[in-house]
Amino acid sequence: MLKIIIPTIMLIPLTWMSKPNMIWINTTTYGLLISLISLFYLNQPNDNTLNSSLMFFSDSLSAPLLALTTWLLPLMLMASQHHLSKEPLTRKKLYISMLILLQLFLIMTFTASELIFFYILFEATLIPTLIIITRWGSQTERLNAGLYFLFYTLMGSLPLLVALLYIHNFMGSLNFLMIQYWIQPLPNSWSNIFLWLACMMAFMVKMPLYGLHLWLPKAHVEAPIAGSMVLAAVLLKLGGYGMMRITTLLNPLTNFMAYPFMMLSLWGMIMTSSICLRQTDLKSLIAYSSVSHMALVIVAVLIQTPWSYMGATALMIAHGLTSSMLFCLANSNYERIHSRTMILARGLQTLLPLMAAWWLLASLTNLALPPTINLIGELFVVMSSFSWSNITIILMGINIIITALYSLYMLITTQRGKYSHHIKNIKPSFTRENALMTLHLLPLLLLSLNPKIILGPIY
Amino acid sequence: MNMFSSCMITALVILTLPIIMSSTKLYKNKLYPYYVKTATSYAFMISMIPTMMFIYSGQEMIISNWHWMTIQTTKLSMSFKLDYFSMIFVPVALFVTWSIMEFSMWYMHSDPYINRFFKYLLLFLITMMVLVTANNMFQLFIGWEGVGIMSFLLIGWWYGRTDANTAALQAVLYNRIGDVGFIMAMAWFQLNLNTWDLQQIFITTNDNFNLPLLGLLLAATGKSAQFGLHPWLPSAMEGPTPVSALLHSSTMVVAGVFLLIRFHPLMEHNQTIQTLTLCLGAITTLLTAICALTQNDIKKIVAFSTSSQLGLMMVTIGINQPYLAFLHICTHAFFKAMLFMCSGSIIHSLNDEQDIRKMGGLFKVLPFTTTSLIIGSLALTGMPFLTGFYSKDLIIESANTSNTNAWALLITLVATSLTAAYSTRIMFFALLGQPRFSPMILINENNPLLINSIKRLLIGSVFAGYIISHSITPTTIPQMTMPHYLKMTALAVTILGFILALELNLTTQGLKFNYPSNYFKFSSLLGYYPTIMHRLTPKTSLTISQKSASMLLDSIWLENILPKSISYFQMKSSTLISNQKGLIKLYFLSFMLTMILSLLILNYHG
Repeated sequence: MLKIIIPTIMLIPLTWMSKPNMIWINTTTYGLLISLISLFYLNQPNDNTLNSSLMFFSDSLSAPLLALTTWLLPLMLMASQHHLSKEPLTRKKLYISMLILLQLFLIMTFTASELIFFYILFEATLIPTLIIITRWGSQTERLNAGLYFLFYTLMGSLPLLVALLYIHNFMGSLNFLMIQYWIQPLPNSWSNIFLWLACMMAFMVKMPLYGLHLWLPKAHVEAPIAGSMVLAAVLLKLGGYGMMRITTLLNPLTNFMAYPFMMLSLWGMIMTSSICLRQTDLKSLIAYSSVSHMALVIVAVLIQTPWSYMGATALMIAHGLTSSMLFCLANSNYERIHSRTMILARGLQTLLPLMAAWWLLASLTNLALPPTINLIGELFVVMSSFSWSNITIILMGINIIITALYSLYMLITTQRGKYSHHIKNIKPSFTRENALMTLHLLPLLLLSLNPKIILGPIY
Repeated sequence: MNMFSSCMITALVILTLPIIMSSTKLYKNKLYPYYVKTATSYAFMISMIPTMMFIYSGQEMIISNWHWMTIQTTKLSMSFKLDYFSMIFVPVALFVTWSIMEFSMWYMHSDPYINRFFKYLLLFLITMMVLVTANNMFQLFIGWEGVGIMSFLLIGWWYGRTDANTAALQAVLYNRIGDVGFIMAMAWFQLNLNTWDLQQIFITTNDNFNLPLLGLLLAATGKSAQFGLHPWLPSAMEGPTPVSALLHSSTMVVAGVFLLIRFHPLMEHNQTIQTLTLCLGAITTLLTAICALTQNDIKKIVAFSTSSQLGLMMVTIGINQPYLAFLHICTHAFFKAMLFMCSGSIIHSLNDEQDIRKMGGLFKVLPFTTTSLIIGSLALTGMPFLTGFYSKDLIIESANTSNTNAWALLITLVATSLTAAYSTRIMFFALLGQPRFSPMILINENNPLLINSIKRLLIGSVFAGYIISHSITPTTIPQMTMPHYLKMTALAVTILGFILALELNLTTQGLKFNYPSNYFKFSSLLGYYPTIMHRLTPKTSLTISQKSASMLLDSIWLENILPKSISYFQMKSSTLISNQKGLIKLYFLSFMLTMILSLLILNYHG
């Protein structure tokens, strides 16, 4: 694992020592090279894990998320170039360093084999994200958003620390790999219920569960583009990843503790997607659509069947790439129109036809068009929830319909219709932007050819 | 490996060539539409070889090649099913598409993005082929969704127009409602039968197929615009006419019926679903026929008649005659596509005038289109020995002699009669009488692209029914004997419809209602269905999402319960408990006092 971690650390000196005109290109290139290394981990030759050391390991669940993380850094760098072009050099470098630091923490989080190490890194990712949101966000509300972001996640995850200390006390170890063989079924008692809640709430807030999701739209809307991208693509997946890891310790309590959270998620996914129907703010729409998609992941993880785990993993990866791409598109609109309001960007297809093609493809992947991996994820989740209870198909069905509706509503409002006069003199789309969209879309399409590598552990 | 599979694959691969070509320089070429059209025609001709072989020897085949993935015990691979249905449907669809592509070279010639239009048409055709030839449900779903999305793009082709965008969104929405049924059926099959392969589904037995079949019925309702989910089909007429000719006559809209035909082995012993299908089809065919009666837009009339015919196909499935329904799909493709193309020809010649009240007397200026339109309409009504006769007459006969729901059958008969009535109306208003269009228009239909494409389908509309029904082997036993009057019913009601409509149309020349009757309102407002469903439902759901989901829950309750209330209580309690009031003097005084006190005490102690 050091062969990813050390190059990532070395990206920071690279940033600070590069010539002013080379900072973007250098970091992007090296970031891409690092992401190539991470692709090797996708090849998991057997059912066991790849143990790199006592501290780090990767298995078929963490490898796709690791690859996603490393893949996203160069994309974030590409996306933020224009947004930072007016900033002084030191601040640019600081920004890049923050992104690299975040990447470093994320890599280590996904590969940590000790739960307490995982916890520390999980919390550590908050710091660079907070700095990115509150320092480089564009409006004053960013401070409020940062506050929400920090306190929701902190409040959620502090009980986890207590729970982890307790578990360490009676298990003697917090190693993922050993603990799953040592764990005894938890007896049903009040204290164990609180243990369950303490363990799960941290990740539920991160996902976010409906009801605890308020920080997400605010953080997404106020964050600069790279912040939104990494939040949607990777940080939310920390929650899913953590839930999938920690539920092994919590059996059989999950069987009945899951009910209220399942209900909340099923209800929440419809609520959030119907909120999307009424959004006028492009970024907020994408943020709420993330909440709705993540509710599916929560449902899938709580059902705890092989199919649902596969669906959850696939959906996490698919959503990571799709929502990140949507944020990039929203940002490219924002850089031209200088507003996030959708109606102001209408009729853009006439002016930027290639961008309209990216919009179309992004919307189609967002609404899970077959045979993209989004569909595979959603289909597996729908199937496992159908097997859990037949009635859920009604809720899932409503969600599928609304998802399609708001995706196409977003597409039609921003791209179709007659263009308005104030957008007549906008800049054409840059090669950088088109390359950015391609780099998002290419993995999505290629993974559709062989979805098996992102399905997580295939039992 | 013989000619059968290789020819079929060749035909499918040829279709993808222009798509691959679109990433090269040739895409910029003006000849691109021509390439696409030629590719389609080649694909048609090549696909005829395996079809001939199928007709000759009854050979069926399953091609299973690329292994996509295996999840636990479910193997998913790309596999094609070349059986009765796909072997007959593929050449028909390719033939119709070939003509439509030639037609759109004429119709769309002034469009700056004509190349892209052709690429979309071709992509649509490919997804349709995937749908028809799919051997497992996942592949079927790829085609199914692909068709839906391509219809979104094609209906919304003129994306500057709000109506076109709305219609496109509407099509996707109604189709999506159907997709939920499809997904439910997929989930059920995976859960209970552990497979998505069609053969495996058919050989596995289960006591109760009600749930998945309901799902499939819902899917078919969405795709084939059956009652409840029907309004998208007439709205989709906002798209260019070639799109309507391709999607909304012969390919996409029959996909739902096709799905039910595919899953017929499960349906044939399930009375509940059959009755449901029968009633659904009957209601659709009557309602849409009634709606067609009073429309003035020529494309809308044809669209409603398509909807009505789709209802008829559903009725046929409901009376357990899937092969007959399939035959009707094939014959219907020819004359309905031609009717759309004829109306396209009229619309284009009259400078985009779609209102039949502003036409009239076209038989003099557009003789060829008039001929084709009349033949198409007659074929649609089931005039003996034209194409429609061979399927429609059989359907009505077997419906009349079956002993299922009598009301449904009666309704179907009424709808059949109405078919003749609205066909007469088109002919009467658009073609006959005095011209009512602007005299300044230069009308010329003598374009080989137009003439040839319509001519090809015209020949199809006259002979295809005979050829198809005579060359394929009968699979279900047709009704051998029946009373004289039942045999004649179909013809009788059609002639009745003709005569009544003609009389009514003639009276319209002299008489005029002072105010429209309620029946007229019902028909012209499409049974009040769009008024209710397109206003009430979106309004309610959007209001709920705004008021309760967004404002009440997200902005007020969730905000207040957690962050706001916490900060409020912290603030209140800190101000309440704390004695820090900013009284600097007092604080310093207390400091001084404690200092002095401590000094004194310490001193004393020392």
